[in-house]
Amino acid sequence: MGTVWNRRLAVLLPLFAFSLAAGAAETADLKSGVFKPPRPAPDFSLRGSDGAELTLSRYRGKVVALGFGYTSCPDVCPTTLFYLAQVREKLGAAAKGLQVVYVTVDPERDDTERLKKYLASFDPTFIGATGSPGQLAEVRKAYGIQISRQTVPGTQSAYLVHHSSFVYLIDRAGNIRALLPFGVSVDDIAHDVKALLSG
Amino acid sequence: MTCRVRALILWALLGIAVSASGQTADAKVRVDSAWARRAPMLAMGGAKTGSGTGAIYAAIVNAGSDPDALLAAASDAAMAVEIHETYQDSGMMKMRPVTKIEIPAGKTVEMKPGGYHIMLLNLTRDLKAGETVELTLVFQKAGRIPVTAQVK
Repeated sequence: MGTVWNRRLAVLLPLFAFSLAAGAAETADLKSGVFKPPRPAPDFSLRGSDGAELTLSRYRGKVVALGFGYTSCPDVCPTTLFYLAQVREKLGAAAKGLQVVYVTVDPERDDTERLKKYLASFDPTFIGATGSPGQLAEVRKAYGIQISRQTVPGTQSAYLVHHSSFVYLIDRAGNIRALLPFGVSVDDIAHDVKALLSG
Repeated sequence: MTCRVRALILWALLGIAVSASGQTADAKVRVDSAWARRAPMLAMGGAKTGSGTGAIYAAIVNAGSDPDALLAAASDAAMAVEIHETYQDSGMMKMRPVTKIEIPAGKTVEMKPGGYHIMLLNLTRDLKAGETVELTLVFQKAGRIPVTAQVK
């Protein structure tokens, strides 16, 4: 499993030095993919679903789970968001140290209102981000996120946006520390967030 | 051809297929542990009609000795209901509609996150945790099977 992910992610993320070696992290022992050495998370300025400017640096001091998706996605995105909501429940009081930031890959349909209502159905503290297509493309490039917007025959959905589905964990100092492929368990995510919160 | 016309033709064909096969008295195909992911109905550009998408998952058990196939699904919780599959390709999670899911004899096919799902397009209401969604699954041989999905 580990080597499969390692290979897959190595293909995904040529920009990043990446290691899954068990216990290889300098400080925290993480269960998910570990960045070694930690890499500063590229900052960005987008429009937040709370109506304010959304920058990553706004959450310095918290652990940030950064994901990409869209509100018309029925399977992968809600599963990821549901897991993250469960992680916050599991963390109890420590949950206030975790901020989920969800950047849309579908700015045409996802305005701030829609993002807000959608994310609140999972957890009211989740914040969404949108921007111009150019701004969003810049952010995706910085994080190695691929998308492919396609009109798919056989569905009444106007179009689908295929996209990379992993989630980054960014530590309190603003460094990318881990990468969660789709399907990592709630327990493992909670474990890693806890490790980063205490690190 | 419009979507509506296509849908009507599809339903007409299914009606023929189902009535021709006739529903057998002892059910060989059953649907277990159906559940829906919580999902909000979302406004779209001030339109009155629903928007927002949902997904329903279930395990389809074929206890019989003949293969069957899931052909369609219907629910009043959404304007359109389709059978979809999530798959990995080029480092992305992609999704595609499927025309049917084969249910081999004696096997269970599990619809689950990251795989097969019943996609609800343009929800007509919020799907809230603790509630239920009624749907009908249409099988090639077993015919229509009503299913109640728990919203989680």
